[in-house]
Amino acid sequence: MTDLIPTTAFGTTTARTATHGALSMAEDVTTALASVALRRGADVPVPLGLPLPGPGGWAGADGAMAVCMGPDQWLILGADGAGGDFAADIAAAAPDCSVTEQTDGWVILDIRSKDDADGAPMAELLTRLVNLDPATLAPGRATRSQTGHLGIIALRLAPDRLLLLGLRSAAESLWQHLDGTLRRLAVPR
Amino acid sequence: MTRITGGLIDRSQTLNFTFDGKRYAGHPGDTLASALLANGVRLMGRSFKYHRPRGVVAAGSEEPNALVTVGSGARATPNTRATVVELFDGLQATSQNRWPSLAVDALGVNDLLSPFFAAGFYYKTFMWPKSFWEKLYEPIIRRAAGLGKLPMQADPDAYDKGYLHCDLLVIGGGAAGLAAALTAARAGAQVVLADEDFRLGGRLLAESHALDDAPPTDWLAGVTAELRSLPNLRILTRTTVFGAYDHGIYGAVEHVSDHLAEPGGRVRQTLWRITAKRSLLAAGAIERHIPFANNDRPGVMLAGAMRAYANRWAVTPQARDGDRVAIFANNDDGHRTALDLMARGVPIFGVIDPREDAPRLGECQLFAGGQVTGTQGRLGLSSIRIAHQGRNDWYECAALGVSGGWNPNLHLAAHHRGRPVWDDALQAFVPGPDGPPGLCAIGAAAGQGTTAAALASGAKGAQDALRDLGIAASLPDLPVAEDHSAPPAPIWHVPGPGRAWVDFQNDVTVKDIALAHRENMRSVEHMKRWTTLGMATDQGKTANVTALAVMAELTGQSIPQTGTTVFRPPYTPVAISALSGGDPGTHFKPTRLTPTHHWAAERGAVFIESGQWMRAQYYPRPGETHWRQSVDREAQAVRAGVGICDVTTLGKIDVQGGDAAAFLDRLYANTMSTLKVGRVRYGLMLREDGFVYDDGTCARLAQDHFVVTTTTANAGLVYRNMEFARQGLWPDLDVQIISTTDAWAQIAVAGPKSRALLERVVDDADLSNEAFPFMACDTLTVCGGLRARLFRISFSGELAYELAVPARYGAALMDRLMAKGADLGVVPYGLEALNVLRIEKGHCTAAEVNGQTTAQMLGLGRMVSQKKDALGVVLSRREGLVGERRALVGLMPADPATPLVGGAHLFTAGAAQKTETDQGWITSVCYSPHLNSHIGLGFLENGADRLGEEITAANPLAGTDVTVRVVSPHFLDPEGGRLRD
Repeated sequence: MTDLIPTTAFGTTTARTATHGALSMAEDVTTALASVALRRGADVPVPLGLPLPGPGGWAGADGAMAVCMGPDQWLILGADGAGGDFAADIAAAAPDCSVTEQTDGWVILDIRSKDDADGAPMAELLTRLVNLDPATLAPGRATRSQTGHLGIIALRLAPDRLLLLGLRSAAESLWQHLDGTLRRLAVPR
Repeated sequence: MTRITGGLIDRSQTLNFTFDGKRYAGHPGDTLASALLANGVRLMGRSFKYHRPRGVVAAGSEEPNALVTVGSGARATPNTRATVVELFDGLQATSQNRWPSLAVDALGVNDLLSPFFAAGFYYKTFMWPKSFWEKLYEPIIRRAAGLGKLPMQADPDAYDKGYLHCDLLVIGGGAAGLAAALTAARAGAQVVLADEDFRLGGRLLAESHALDDAPPTDWLAGVTAELRSLPNLRILTRTTVFGAYDHGIYGAVEHVSDHLAEPGGRVRQTLWRITAKRSLLAAGAIERHIPFANNDRPGVMLAGAMRAYANRWAVTPQARDGDRVAIFANNDDGHRTALDLMARGVPIFGVIDPREDAPRLGECQLFAGGQVTGTQGRLGLSSIRIAHQGRNDWYECAALGVSGGWNPNLHLAAHHRGRPVWDDALQAFVPGPDGPPGLCAIGAAAGQGTTAAALASGAKGAQDALRDLGIAASLPDLPVAEDHSAPPAPIWHVPGPGRAWVDFQNDVTVKDIALAHRENMRSVEHMKRWTTLGMATDQGKTANVTALAVMAELTGQSIPQTGTTVFRPPYTPVAISALSGGDPGTHFKPTRLTPTHHWAAERGAVFIESGQWMRAQYYPRPGETHWRQSVDREAQAVRAGVGICDVTTLGKIDVQGGDAAAFLDRLYANTMSTLKVGRVRYGLMLREDGFVYDDGTCARLAQDHFVVTTTTANAGLVYRNMEFARQGLWPDLDVQIISTTDAWAQIAVAGPKSRALLERVVDDADLSNEAFPFMACDTLTVCGGLRARLFRISFSGELAYELAVPARYGAALMDRLMAKGADLGVVPYGLEALNVLRIEKGHCTAAEVNGQTTAQMLGLGRMVSQKKDALGVVLSRREGLVGERRALVGLMPADPATPLVGGAHLFTAGAAQKTETDQGWITSVCYSPHLNSHIGLGFLENGADRLGEEITAANPLAGTDVTVRVVSPHFLDPEGGRLRD
């Protein structure tokens, strides 16, 4: 076990959080990421027991999730796996695939809405973030998109929960964009 | 006061405001224009060119005259139409384009000089001398003929952007728009209803007609309540849809808090991008006036606006109660104003109607066959002259309502180069069939201007639009409404002496149009540019059609033959702040930070932009007062000992698959399939046209696994090209690629002591020259088990490595390397030192690989394999490129202390300096602390054969010539012993 102390995407040792009104946002520093791409003629694997979803979807649960990233390509999210060699674990579970470590390629931001039975604050947030028909990011859906001139991967985990993955190097710009958006939405019109 | 009873204002509250510093009061529901009129203020502005006194003409966003600056300090917003400013307590408005005051404007002298300021005056007068234009003429003209002034301070308010998607966008919330929204929303469609007013209802708010025998506000209240209860309908009031763009996308600005004294943390405006499968334009109609001599005095306004002020805002247009009002109209609708005003107790002097058979619609004097031929009144109307039955007499008159008929407000329907179509029966242009796809006009915007027709066409329009989408909608029960349609008589202006204004905002008169015609500006587009008619903030909303008609009369053509000018977004002015959105300042453009950014910042690094990235440029130490001191020290420390530098920004692309090697052979000009596992090779990619695209390294981690590195600038582009090649060119290959640039922090460890330093951090790895030679690579662990990748590659020309660890450990690794290397003299070095080191070594970067240079020019011609094909290779052999004789050389000034300039052009000593004798250019320059001289790299004609020759580096911009000696581009260690040992 290395004695080097990791830093977050924001250069600190503790995860960054913010709350504005009904919406809150927290950096997820423990989830590991690995890309799985199917090689020619290979069977679709079931890594960590995950059924790999089709376009526009994600599958799994809080422990492990898979997002469709393109033809024959998925991103696997493993809760609490960031400390280990998650890509190696996935490679072992998907032997006929090209597996690439992605954990530190992304900053993961977990956005939640409280007191939100009907998902209204989250729906309003989505109108400010992404140029998508709301159905594209209905609960259970996931997609690539862009916000604030930055590419993102968005997973609508629940009516009141949205997971955003952005370039780790652009974490500060992404945060400023999201934080400003949440802050502005928190002021009643 | 000219406030009367009734109206849609809340008299229980008083709102105080100021205009030009004077205090006034109004009520919620007022606009600034209605509140000023209610206070007897008719003079609201000065005209653009002649500084003529002007009052409000319209009651909506088409207003050409009443432009004021609202707010103060940084929030001051110039050129705001008083007719769309919702009154709030504490509002401060100031008039524009006058000095010293609105009532006494010194530049009113322009009006006396008007014979000299006719159309085209600027074009003819300020032609020469040419150099005077920018410094003298333009500033003077701008000062004299200006509108409002920007505060020149940063906007203190917040803005945001949003995206909406819907089945149906309804633009306008009047009778037609509401009927459409109701029809569509009841059918379950996703609907967005946008209206620029703060209250839904459109023209229904301004008319006195009953709907189902009740005031229109009763029906409006019921419909509005129902619409607000429907979850599938979003109502955007205070929202102007300003443009129709491609693919059913509309731009809209919502004025969220412009109507509040303080935004209180709210955004001021939201820019909406609305993607609509279908859209309905229910923007109503704009009344046109009839130009006659001196028709621009305060107190002369559109008859429909006069009616709106009376019915909606309970305001009459005279400065004093009891003063007489007249109407000049060529259509029945104009008479309504007289009827409504009389019903409210306003004294109506008479209705002047040029139609000989004008109907008598009310109990007031009718001048059938009459015309208004002049006005008097210094700062406001006091009398009018009426030509009637052979007489031309002056009559006292405090306000005149003018109606020349109504123009369908088809602006948005004419975006995408949609051409309006002339409707002879309506005497108006209506939207044509070739406007934005998916958009239909309804109601008055489509020429269906009676209330009954507007309601019916709105409901039907929605039903038809939804049918296209496969959504069945039934028509709602609509109220019984007035249905009196009476097109105007084709009377477009009153001929005669004196200036008759067509375009109030740009001070364009009938005479100006005639002059343009005489000057042969006969295309309508030429007439527009020559006279400036239809330009500026109102885009000629009240002027354009009238001007076309006047022009048609002059040319002897019909109005449709004359044609219309092109309509373009925005419909009304849009603030740049709204367009820029919610991320002004630093994060307007995203930046990328390296994993060691904060580490470097804590050590005082100076940063420089490199593409999207911020990179440490150098690390100044106490006592270093000039950047060169820091850079020289860092470069020398690397060559003498060891330095570390974050090179994460170089693109990293993971390439895997059974055909990965074959794939790379087709991408790189040189061969990669022969690369052994555990080795790295320098690679060159070509553009399709044969020039060099990018260079970098390719490391083979396993038989079917490579890591490609790219330059920082081209990381995204190379990845894109590879993805295109994989998916589009060679889908048969078994290749998978993904970017890993951000995933790994990559640290260059360079210098003769780099091996010694690295041996202190790697776990159980043999880094000896034998075990890990130049161009070796491996996966290993460092610092007690952290997975890492080590590459023995060198940009500096020294013994050097690049060590990659997961990005989250990048900063800690830098710390560890600094700690472990203290006794070795390790220093962090920045981009500037890195550049010095690579120039000394003659390595290329983006300055040399700029898309215009060939492998041969770079001295890398032999890397283009003759044994296989790859992207760009065939075209790299074309005649023009093979014959290229310029080659990369090193350059040293005759005087080592003379700096070289990048971009300087190279000439044979003593030769004339012109394009024909140009022999190349300097690409990169630096000061070399190792050679104690400024040095440079450049491309020179026959460069390889000219070593030792003295040539001239010319910088014509600064007028300087520097004598330079041609040398090998490898200033240091040309044999490469240092990086191999």
